[in-house]
Amino acid sequence: MKSPLAPLPPTAAYLHIPFCRRRCYYCDFAVSVVGDQQRGETSRAIAQYVEVLCQEIRATPNLGLPLQTVFFGGGTPSLLSVAQLQQILAVLEDHFGFAAAVEISMEMDPGTFARSHLQGYLAAGVNRVSLGVQAFQQELLAACGRTHTPEDIETAVALLRQEGVQNLSLDLIAGLPHQTMVDWQESLERAIALQPTHISVYDLTVEPVTAFGRWYQPGVAPLPTEEATAEMYRTAQRYLTAAGYTHYEISNYAKPGFQCRHNRVYWENQSYYGFGMGAASYTQLQRFTRPRKRAEYFEWVNQLQQAAGQIDCPPTTPEECWLDTLMLGLRLAEGLALTDLTAQFGQAKVDQLLQSLASFSQCGWVQFQEAPTGKRICLTDPEGFLFSNVVLTHLFNVSSG
Amino acid sequence: MTDVPVSRIRNFSIIAHIDHGKSTLADRLLQVTGTVSSREMKEQFLDNMELERERGITIKLQAARMNYTGEDGEQYVLNLIDTPGHVDFSYEVSRSLAACEGALLVVDASQGVEAQTLANVYLALEHNLEIIPVLNKIDLPGAEPDRVKGEIEEIIGLDCSGAILASAKEGIGITEILESIVHLVPPPRDTVQEKLRALIFDSYYDPYRGVIVYFRVMDGTLKKGDRIRLMASGKEYEIDELGVLSPNQVQVDELHAGEVGYLAAAIKAVQDARVGDTITLATAPASAPLPGYTEAKPMVFCGLFPTDADQFEDLREALEKLRLNDAALQYEPETSSAMGFGFRCGFLGLLHMEIVQERLEREYDLDLITTAPSVIYKVTTNTGEELFIDNPSHLPDPQHREKIEEPYVQVDMITPEEYVGTLMELSQSRRGVFKDMKYLTQGRTTLTYELPLAEVVTDFFDQMKSRSRGYASMEYHVIGYRENPLVKLDVLINGEPVDPLATIVHRDKAYYVGKALVEKLKELIPRHQFKIPIQAAIGSRIIASEHIPALRKDVLAKCYGGDISRKKKLLQKQAKGKKRLKAIGTVDVPQEAFMAVLKLQ
Repeated sequence: MKSPLAPLPPTAAYLHIPFCRRRCYYCDFAVSVVGDQQRGETSRAIAQYVEVLCQEIRATPNLGLPLQTVFFGGGTPSLLSVAQLQQILAVLEDHFGFAAAVEISMEMDPGTFARSHLQGYLAAGVNRVSLGVQAFQQELLAACGRTHTPEDIETAVALLRQEGVQNLSLDLIAGLPHQTMVDWQESLERAIALQPTHISVYDLTVEPVTAFGRWYQPGVAPLPTEEATAEMYRTAQRYLTAAGYTHYEISNYAKPGFQCRHNRVYWENQSYYGFGMGAASYTQLQRFTRPRKRAEYFEWVNQLQQAAGQIDCPPTTPEECWLDTLMLGLRLAEGLALTDLTAQFGQAKVDQLLQSLASFSQCGWVQFQEAPTGKRICLTDPEGFLFSNVVLTHLFNVSSG
Repeated sequence: MTDVPVSRIRNFSIIAHIDHGKSTLADRLLQVTGTVSSREMKEQFLDNMELERERGITIKLQAARMNYTGEDGEQYVLNLIDTPGHVDFSYEVSRSLAACEGALLVVDASQGVEAQTLANVYLALEHNLEIIPVLNKIDLPGAEPDRVKGEIEEIIGLDCSGAILASAKEGIGITEILESIVHLVPPPRDTVQEKLRALIFDSYYDPYRGVIVYFRVMDGTLKKGDRIRLMASGKEYEIDELGVLSPNQVQVDELHAGEVGYLAAAIKAVQDARVGDTITLATAPASAPLPGYTEAKPMVFCGLFPTDADQFEDLREALEKLRLNDAALQYEPETSSAMGFGFRCGFLGLLHMEIVQERLEREYDLDLITTAPSVIYKVTTNTGEELFIDNPSHLPDPQHREKIEEPYVQVDMITPEEYVGTLMELSQSRRGVFKDMKYLTQGRTTLTYELPLAEVVTDFFDQMKSRSRGYASMEYHVIGYRENPLVKLDVLINGEPVDPLATIVHRDKAYYVGKALVEKLKELIPRHQFKIPIQAAIGSRIIASEHIPALRKDVLAKCYGGDISRKKKLLQKQAKGKKRLKAIGTVDVPQEAFMAVLKLQ
């Protein structure tokens, strides 16, 4: 295979804020639980972490371009004090620079922040908020270990609106224990009624090392059947597209002009910086995931400083890069542009791809499109998306010979 | 090589259970006699094959010639002829014992006599061998030499007053063993003047020199350049190379009665120089061959199919190559509507089958689907014709057959007393007929059952080991055919009969096996985009049925920066699993499904 062009230097940065009041039953992220009373203002653990995070940013080589997108994920970034958020953004801007239209997203959980916090975050530069709603039914929220109530959601959204947040995303989960289709329709309707610019709809994944992983088996009560969750997926697609949202990625919907620019970086297989415990980065073809444990992460930052910011990890091979491009690009509704693929991986690779997709095109999961910018291949919505792994594993096997 | 008179040759083998220290003792003898220097000594010199080392068992035989100066000051030649330590290869054991005058019976002093040891001791006694008991691992804290001596005396009836206490590992008792071989093992008969007869006890294929034959000269003399005849195959060859094993091959010009050696004569495949055949001179042939030659007959059969149809020719070539070296391996092309082209293969037993499969996958890099093992059934048709059926899917329909007979074996187990109950239960559940139970010594019992071989070749051995926590051992030999009410159980996937899943079972167990089998297949076959019925049937009657629900979705909900590497690994694993599936019609079936009948609870 022809050697793919190295991606452009990163213009995106992900920052992991691994603190939560409690751990949700479905979550297997790197987080540390600080309890219901603690926030960035009071917690020594958070203060210390922010220091190390800033050290990591400073120790990381600037690869040349200013940041277009910044994403605070977690964890619960809304547990940071205003001063901490300001400090992190200041270090980032100082080190990499911000483009004029920089998108700064922050994940926030209902009930974890006051008006004063929000005002401070916005003043510091946050201009996109992703709110962890998950469901609108008290019993469902409790059953998955969330600390907030449906009222907290309404309060949080009202607060965000009053403070002028325009670019707002809500997260919902389908397939929660005891969730019915009626519950799901209600959640969709109430989410739409709040008029966010963006909605993420996640089908619950039962991860092995979570409370849910210990308690439940996918498709077995009290979890809805696979048939039911597949139907929830289709229902979300119908409701949200009817309400004017574009289904632009397997799990994401947006009003025109409000797709998450940061997350698109991942799906377009572009490079990005990553900072913090358990965070992944893709720089200079190196995909690297930081230690998930606090002490190990601190030690790693220490070593990074001594190694002048060089990460010890093999570069992605052309073959891996090809698989990444397929796996990520086919998540987007627009799919992959054949001209781009050919330029990057060569005609032979693309011919092989088209040949191996033929049978999926017959069964209606894959579409070949004629766009103004040229031919594209994409998965169909919703059936192609629902069976995307079947398509991908086939492509993986064809590729590995 | 020094020429020694027949009177100062001693030929012996070592009889021992797996793990009782045979290889270590052999190594130690080679070392003490100076045959192999410590520097050359790889651990366990005689177990050559990678698989043998991994499993700690001897599959192919080896031999070694040692020079030893006895305490009487005389020079002796001691030939050690190794024996394979597994029931599947008992014919080969009998041939190597026939080449000896004595045997060391090595028993772990902390364990005791095991079933396989017992079987081999009886073989040795049949050949009139002088047996020298050796209690090994005497240095271990758990050693109980008196108990084990008592056991040998009681079980085998062998006088143990002179038993040697040894530790091959620590070098204890080695000189005593060597002296006992010199004094107790009789020298070969001096028949140097008679016409040549040499017994083949092993052979292997060498790509450069052709088959290398290991033999013991029983009568007469053999020279390099002699034209030889193999009395069973009738083929004649000229000896290119003659030598002894010390244990590496060392060329000599001549070997006479009593000596052990090897020859190369541009023989193309091992089946032309089979174990047990007699070598004589073409110019002055002996009047009769040595007794005891039989062709090893396969007992267990299975289908081998390449996962990828393109590998069929590779599989054929690999089998051809293995057969050059393994006269007991049989194969013939098999075509299955479900599986495509493959081979029906015959093996001496389950271990032999596993070894061949493993070598095909490992050494020849083939992806194989193996169908469940079957035995040979004897079917009498309405017209009185007798058919031997090694493939359940070839069984004539009930209306065309008079009766079915199946091979039975006698299974002898030796077990600590506390497992007798569970082993009896196991044997009963496998249609066993109880024959005998004897308390050997305190806490040790022999248990004898007659069982259908078909029930033994499933997971009987594994079950016996797990039920007895590894303490029980077993041995079996075929005792003949018996008529039973047997039926063919067919399996239908998505409405289509899948012939490699067909199995022959006892009528009374058919319902249970059918139900368990469809349940197991439901577990093993991945979901597809459509619902898949799985049924077990006898003739046109469905006796059990399940279905695999359709796959409704297969999608990764989240895939962001931090997920990419992990989710890709997940997909890669899923993709790899898919690759090892065999398409049966529109249903992809994993390899394990074809062995499902062995894994029923």
